[in-house]
Amino acid sequence: MKVFIKFDFTQFCSRILDEKLNELNIKYRMLNFGEIEFLESVPADKLKAFDAILKEYGIEKIENQKVILVQKIKDTLIDMVLNANEGQNVKSSVYLSDKLGHSYGYLSNLFSEVTYTSIENFIILQRIEYAKSLITNTDLSLTEIAFKLQYSSVAHLSTQFKNTTGITPTTFQRIIAKRRTLKSN
Amino acid sequence: MQEDYTYVVLADDDEDDRLFFVEAFEELKIKTKVDVYKDGIELMDALNQEDSMLPNILFLDLNMPKKSGLECLIDIKANNRFKDMAIAIYSTSASEEDIENTFVQGANIYIKKPSAFNDLKKILSDVVTVNWQYHTNGLDKENFLLRL
Amino acid sequence: MPLRFITNSERFLKIIFGLTLFVVLVMGGLAYRYVKELTKSIDEVQHNYEVHILLEKMVSALKDAESGKRGYIITKDSTFLEPLLTNSDTFQYSLAQLEELTKKNPEQQKNIEELRTKVEKNLAIFQKTLQLANNNNIDSPEFIEAFKEGRRTMNSVRFKIKQMAAHETNILGTSRAKSYKNLNNAPMVVYYVIILSLLILLLTYLHISRSLKILKEKNELLETFKKSTTQSEIISKHGNWIWHVEDNIYEYSDNLYRLLGEEPQSFEPNLENYLSFVHPDDIEKLTQHVEEMKENEDLPFIHYRVIQKNGIIKHFKAYAKLLVDSDGYKRLLGTTADITDEIENYRIIEKRNLELERSNKELSSFNYVASHDLQEPLRKIQTFLSRLEDKEKDNLSNNGQLYIERIKSSTSRMRSLIDDLLQFSRTNKSEEALADSNINILLETAKHDLAEIIADKRARISSDSIPSMRVIPFQIKQLFLNLLSNSLKYSREKTAPIITISYSRTNASALPNVKYSKYYAYHTITIQDNGIGFDQEYAEKIFVLFNRLHNKTEYSGTGIGLSICKKIVENHNGYITAYGNPDIGATFTVYLPIT
Repeated sequence: MKVFIKFDFTQFCSRILDEKLNELNIKYRMLNFGEIEFLESVPADKLKAFDAILKEYGIEKIENQKVILVQKIKDTLIDMVLNANEGQNVKSSVYLSDKLGHSYGYLSNLFSEVTYTSIENFIILQRIEYAKSLITNTDLSLTEIAFKLQYSSVAHLSTQFKNTTGITPTTFQRIIAKRRTLKSN
Repeated sequence: MQEDYTYVVLADDDEDDRLFFVEAFEELKIKTKVDVYKDGIELMDALNQEDSMLPNILFLDLNMPKKSGLECLIDIKANNRFKDMAIAIYSTSASEEDIENTFVQGANIYIKKPSAFNDLKKILSDVVTVNWQYHTNGLDKENFLLRL
Repeated sequence: MPLRFITNSERFLKIIFGLTLFVVLVMGGLAYRYVKELTKSIDEVQHNYEVHILLEKMVSALKDAESGKRGYIITKDSTFLEPLLTNSDTFQYSLAQLEELTKKNPEQQKNIEELRTKVEKNLAIFQKTLQLANNNNIDSPEFIEAFKEGRRTMNSVRFKIKQMAAHETNILGTSRAKSYKNLNNAPMVVYYVIILSLLILLLTYLHISRSLKILKEKNELLETFKKSTTQSEIISKHGNWIWHVEDNIYEYSDNLYRLLGEEPQSFEPNLENYLSFVHPDDIEKLTQHVEEMKENEDLPFIHYRVIQKNGIIKHFKAYAKLLVDSDGYKRLLGTTADITDEIENYRIIEKRNLELERSNKELSSFNYVASHDLQEPLRKIQTFLSRLEDKEKDNLSNNGQLYIERIKSSTSRMRSLIDDLLQFSRTNKSEEALADSNINILLETAKHDLAEIIADKRARISSDSIPSMRVIPFQIKQLFLNLLSNSLKYSREKTAPIITISYSRTNASALPNVKYSKYYAYHTITIQDNGIGFDQEYAEKIFVLFNRLHNKTEYSGTGIGLSICKKIVENHNGYITAYGNPDIGATFTVYLPIT
C-alpha cells in the first residue's frame, strides 16, 4: 500500500520551534521565517540546550553575516599565508580588500569586533603556526623557513616566534622532537 | 561562537593563589566559568567522573601535596577522553629544564605566577584568547605551546 | 736484530765446519796418496834388488859350473862336477823365480826366454865338453871347439844377464823419477792446505770473538733489563710468572712471592701452593680460570683476591700470553698485579662521589626551597601589595602611600636577589643540554628581552656575525643578557650607550692568563661599551659573587650577574676576562673553545 503525504515545512518548523522554546521557557518573537528574536537575555546553558535540541531535527542556527564575513577574512588570510610566494611581498590590507570587496578599515574593525584580536595579530599567529608546522613536519632549516615566510631574517622570525609563543623556535623544535620520542617509547 | 563561555579549572593548594585566580577572572571581561580544586587528587576525582563537564583550559600548579601537577598532567595525557583540554602549568618558578619537561609531557601553556595582579589578569586573558584562537581557527593543537 | 745476528752466526759456523771437514778430508786423501806412492817406490826398489840378486846368482852359478868343469877336466876329480849337477836345477829354479818376478814386464819375459835358451844351450855344450873330457879327447879339435863354444855361450849368457840387469835398473830409474816428481809436489800442497786451514781458523776465530762480544753485550743488556724488570715489579707491585706448557712447571718471580707476603722463592712454585693463598671465595673461580688457561693456552684478564699469612686481603689482577720460541717450545708468560690500592682508591672516589651526590642533592633541594618556598610568600606580598595599591590607594594617607612605595621597592629588590641567586644556582653544567646553536639568534633574543631599556637609553648595539657553536642555548642567551644589561646599567649619564659586539678567533697560546689548554683555539666574543668602566684592579673581583663596585642606590644590581656569566662560560670550558677604563668604558671578552 502506498500513501502520499504533503508537507508544510513552514508550519512544521514553526510548531517545533514554538514547542521547544516554550519547553525551555524562552520568550521570543518570530520575525520572518528562519529569524527569531529573543525577548529577554537567554542564559548560555539554555541557548546551548536549544541548539542541541534543534540539531536533532536537522535545524541549525545560522551565524550572523558578520561572522560569515569574518570567516571569509580568516580563510583569505590563511590562504595568503600558506601560499606566500617566496620573496614576493603583497601587503595584506591590499590583498584583503581586493579579494573581499570591502575597505580594509571596515574589515579590520569588523574583525576586531567579532574576534577580539586584530587582523595583524591573526596574520602573525597564522604565520607562526605555519612556521611551527614547517619546523615539525619538514627538514627545512630556520633560515629556509624564514625566507619562505617572507621574514627579513632568521632573527626576525625567532623574535616574532618568541613574542608569540614565549619560546624560541629551537626550543619548540626540541620539545616536539622529545614528545615524539616519548610517545614512540 | 559555539560556546558562550570558557570553562577553566584550577588545581592549586595555595589558598591565596586560588583567590587571585578567581578574582582575576571576575575582573576580566571574558565570559568564563571558573572552578578551583585544592589538590591533584580532588581534581582528578572530579575530572574522572563520567558525566563531568571537561574544562576548556586546565590550570595546574606543579607543587601540590598528594598528587603533583606533573603527575596529573601525565595521567591526563594518558587518557584519550581529555585530549581536547588545553593544559596550562601554573607555577611559581622552575628551571628551564623543568619547564621544557612539562611541555614535553604534553602541557600547552606554561605560566610563571606573576607578582602583580594586573600581570595575572593580562596573562589569563591572553591564555583564554590564544586557546580560543586555536579552537576556532582549527589550528594544530599538537603545536600549541605557549609560555608566559 | 740480535736474533738475526745469532742465526747468521749459527749459519756461518756451520759453513766453517763443513769447509774445515772438507779440507781435512782433502789433506787425508793427499797423505794416503803420497804414502802409497812411497810404498810403491820401495816395492819397486825391492823388486829390482831381487831381480839383480837372482841374475847375480845365475852368473855366479854359471861361473861355478865353469870353474867346476875346468877343475874336472884338469883333475878328473868328479867332486868338481857336484855344483854342475845341482846347477841345472838352480838355473831352472832361478829362471822360474825371475819369470814370476817380471811377469808384468813383457820385455823381461822375452829376455828370460832368450836367457833360458842360452842357458840350456850353454848346459848342453857343458855336457858335450864334459863327455869329450870323459872320453879323454881334451886335445881333440872337437873338444877345443866345444870349449870355445862354451865360452862364447857363457859370454852371451852373461851379456844377456847384464842387459836384463840394465833394463831393470832402467825401469827403476823411470819409476823413481816419476815418484820423485809426485813426492816432490807433496810438501807444497800440504803447505798450501795448511795456509788455507790457518786462514779458515783465523776467520772463525775473528767471527766467534765478535759474536762473543755481541753476545756479551746482549747479555749485559739482558741483565740490566732483568734488574729493571725486578725493580719495576716492585714499584708497580706486580709479579711475573712462567708456565711451561709441556712440562707443566711454574716459575715465579721474586716479587710475586713478595706480593703474597712471602720471602722470594720460599715455597715451590706450583698451583697447589699458590691456591693456598687465594681467598676461599675466589678459589673456585681462579681454579676454573686456570683450567681454561691450560686448555686454551691463554689467560684473559682475571681478578681475584689473596689472603697473606698476616691476614691482609689483597686484590690481584692477572693476565698471560702464550710465547712459542723458535724451537716450538711453549711457555705462558704471565703477569700478576696487586691492584689493592687501585681498588681502595676507586672505593674512596666512589664514596666521595656519593657524598658529592648527596651534597649536590642537598644543594638542589636548597635551590628548590629558595625557588619555591621563598619566592611564594614574596610573590604574594607583591600581589597583595598591587591589590592594595589598586583598590585602596585612595584611602591611604600620603605617608601610607609612601610606605607602600618603599615596601614595593624592597620587595622587588628581594625578588631580583632571589631570581639572580636561583639563576646562579641553576646555571649548571649539563652535557645533555648542549646543542648546535645559532649564536646570533641567542644574541637577538637577549636584545629583545632588553628592548625596553635599550629604547629608553637610546642605546646602539652593533654586532659581528658569530658562527654557530655547540653550547647550552639558554645559558649563552643569559650570558648575553647579563653582559648587555651590565653595559646598559653602568652607562654614563647623558651619554647614549654604544655597545659593540665583535667576534674573532684566538689560538690557545694567545689566551691571557692561561698556560695550558686542551683546545687549540677559541671563539672570542668581545662586548665593549662606553659606560662608566671600572678600575682595572677590580677586574677579577667583579666576577665574585655578591661583589659590587657601586652603592646599590647609585646603580641597581645584585652582584650576581657577572658571577653567573663566569659560571656559564666555565660550564662551556671557556674563559671570561674584563678590562676596565674608568669613565671610558668596559670590555668583556668571552673565550669559548672551538670543538
